[in-house]
Amino acid sequence: MEASEEKTEKPSSGVSAAQRRAELRRRKLLMNSEDRMNRIVGFAKNDSDNSGNIVIVRLEPRFHLDLDRTQPWSSSSPSPRPSELPGASLEDEMGGLRQRAKLERGDDLSGSPRRSLQQYLSRFDDAMKLRSQLANDKQAQDGGSDSEELDPFRIFRLIGSVLLAVFVRVFVCKYLSIFAPFLTLELAYMGLSKYFPKVEKKTQTTVLTAALLLSGIPAEVISRSMDTYRRMGDVFSDLCVYFFTFIISHEIVLLIASEAP
Amino acid sequence: MAWFLVLSSVFLCNLMKTLLPSISSFLTKMVQKDAEQESEMRAEIHQMKKEQSSISMMDEFARYARLERKINKTTDKLKTHVQSRTAQQAKMKWVVNIVFYILQAAVMISLIWKYYSDPVTVVPPKWIAPVERLVAFPTGVAGGVGITCWLVVCNKVVTLGLSAIS
Repeated sequence: MEASEEKTEKPSSGVSAAQRRAELRRRKLLMNSEDRMNRIVGFAKNDSDNSGNIVIVRLEPRFHLDLDRTQPWSSSSPSPRPSELPGASLEDEMGGLRQRAKLERGDDLSGSPRRSLQQYLSRFDDAMKLRSQLANDKQAQDGGSDSEELDPFRIFRLIGSVLLAVFVRVFVCKYLSIFAPFLTLELAYMGLSKYFPKVEKKTQTTVLTAALLLSGIPAEVISRSMDTYRRMGDVFSDLCVYFFTFIISHEIVLLIASEAP
Repeated sequence: MAWFLVLSSVFLCNLMKTLLPSISSFLTKMVQKDAEQESEMRAEIHQMKKEQSSISMMDEFARYARLERKINKTTDKLKTHVQSRTAQQAKMKWVVNIVFYILQAAVMISLIWKYYSDPVTVVPPKWIAPVERLVAFPTGVAGGVGITCWLVVCNKVVTLGLSAIS
C-alpha cells in the first residue's frame, strides 16, 4: 500500500519523491542490519509483513537498535511516543508497537544469536585445529612405538614392587595379607615421588580429549583428570607386577619344595 | 601348570602384536609381483635426470624438452604405481590385523572356557584377603586365582616387559 502511495505521488513531485525514496533506501540499509542478522540466524521471520511499516517506523531514531542496551525497550520508550510525532496515524502506531514488541524480543535475542554464532565459529575453529592435531598424533603414533614410556621413577616403582613381592612371599605372607605391604609401599612411593625428576609427558590428543574439549569442559580439568587417571594406571601396574611376582615366586618355591628330598 | 600355559599364550600374543607391522610388510612384498618395476622406473628417472643435467637447455632445447616430457611421464607412472602399492599395503595390514585379533580372541576365549571352573593356581585364602573373591572369579574356589585375574595380570606384565625391551 505504501508502495502504491509512493507511485501515485511520483508524477506530482518528481525530484523530491526520488530523493525521498533514495533517503528511505539509505536509511533502510543502515538500520536494517539487526533484522538481517536475525534472518541469518533464523529469528524475526515476519519482517516482510511489516515492510511497509518498517519504512516509516525506521525513520524514528528511537527504533535504531542498540546492541549494548541492557534494558528492554518497553521501559525506556513509553507508549505515548508514537503520538508525539506529527502526522502519525493509528496504523503507524500499531505498526510501531508491533515493531517495538518484535524489537524487544529481538533485542534479548540479538545479543545471543550473534554470540552463539561467534561461539559456533570459534568451536568450529577449535574442532578443525583438534582434527589436525589428532591426525598429527596418529601419524606420530604410527611412526613411533605404541609402548608406554618408562621414566626412572616408574622403573624404580616396578623394581620395588618385584623385590617386595619376593620378600613378602618368603617372610611375610604367613602372617598377614599380601596387599597390606603393597599398600604401605604405594604410600611410600607417594612420598618419594618428589625426590625423582619429573618427566613432562606430552598430552596426546585423542578423540576422547578432543570431544571433551569441544563439549566445553575446560582444558585444565581434562589435564587434571588425565593426570589422575595416569597415576591410577601406575598404581595398577605396580599391583599387577607385585601380584605376578608373588605368584611366580610362590610357584618356584613350591617347585623347589617338591623336588627337594 | 595352568598359570604357565596362560602366561606363555599371553606372551606369544603380545609378541605377535609387536611384530604385526613386519609381518604385514613381509606378506605385502611376497604378494607384490611388480616390485622390481618400481625400482626400474626409479633408476630410469634417475638416469634421465642425470642425462638432462648434462644437456644445456639453450643449445639443445628440443632434446631437453623431450627428456623433460619423458621424465614427467615416467614420474606419473611411478606415482600411480606407488599409490597402488601403498593401497595394497594398507589392505594387507588391515587383513593381517583382523586375522590376528580374531586369533587372539579365539585363544583367550578357549583359555577362559578351559579354566572357567579351575583356578590357575591355589594359595591360602588369607594371603589374598580381602579380595579373595575377586581374585578367584569365576572359579569360586577359596584361595584360587581365577583365569580372568591372571589374564589381566599377565597381559599387563608382558606389555610392560616388552615395552621395556623394545
